[in-house]
Amino acid sequence: MAIGTNVYYEDVTVGAELPQLEKGPLTTAHLMRWSAAMENWHKIHYDKPFAIEHDKLPELLINGSLKQQFVMQLLTDWAGPDGWVWKASFQFRAMNVVDETLRIWGRVSAKRDGPGYGLVDIELGIVNDKGTESTPGKATVALPYRGGKPVPYPFVPAQA
Amino acid sequence: MSILSEAVKKYVGIQSTTEIACDPVERGAVRRYAQAVMNEDPIFFANCANNERYGGAVAPPLYPTHLFRRPFGAPDPIQENARNPDFDGIVATISSQGLPEIEPLKGYALLNGGAEIEFFRYARHGETVKLTSRYADITEKETSKGPIILVITESEYRNGDGDLLIRTRRTQIRRK
Repeated sequence: MAIGTNVYYEDVTVGAELPQLEKGPLTTAHLMRWSAAMENWHKIHYDKPFAIEHDKLPELLINGSLKQQFVMQLLTDWAGPDGWVWKASFQFRAMNVVDETLRIWGRVSAKRDGPGYGLVDIELGIVNDKGTESTPGKATVALPYRGGKPVPYPFVPAQA
Repeated sequence: MSILSEAVKKYVGIQSTTEIACDPVERGAVRRYAQAVMNEDPIFFANCANNERYGGAVAPPLYPTHLFRRPFGAPDPIQENARNPDFDGIVATISSQGLPEIEPLKGYALLNGGAEIEFFRYARHGETVKLTSRYADITEKETSKGPIILVITESEYRNGDGDLLIRTRRTQIRRK
């Protein structure tokens, strides 16, 4: 599926995998660039002696906030320009550390018809080079019907 | 032994005043942000067919949640702590989402535990962003590495016209 193309509710099947996204290896330069972009100077992301000796961490940590961005890119790329990512949730269950490559994945877990658009539930997560899942989560994406209108914007949920 | 004191529990229910981000959504800041997350979708920097229905160029979905930064004239905690070996680099105005810092937890390590987020509209270039937050819950949990405190914060981000952009429910992990 090309980025910027639409996916329609009717074409989605439960169990289908979203096209995976890969980010990395994420170096100290990536982490510093993200810290600067969001003006978050928490040392555990760029000051190795502080992270290890003071905060007793195994290494510099990849920011949870950066991992959230990757999940959002997975979802918005998939939803396409006429869809809408309504809900996303993430749990940071395990640390990801500098120089890891992350693979962001999603799988359709349920779908239900709605008025004017359909809702698709997605299970998602982030796996590192070693296959360790760090960021299990869920999302709900609104998709247009084939031949129908784009999902209304601003998005006003019609159903839970 | 519990590490969750009554003094900490008293923060539950505290609500922030409405904070206005010190800068509007700026094209240059959006560029740096989009490049840092390695997602240079054209909807973030130019008027195009795919952002026409949003009214033009927009910021990435989570951008409003990172827009609350230290304004001009505010105390500079990085300089103030330049000789403090225990300073972790956290700037409270950024990490606390407009809420007062939980004083008894000062010095506790802070980790991002996760979030639940709802999206309603994007922030467009040039728009201001407003934030209100509340401490929704503070609980203690026993882990294999000892007790931790979970601080749950709920926030709403709106544009200058008061339109709801994003609603979040975040979990921060605090431990000694």
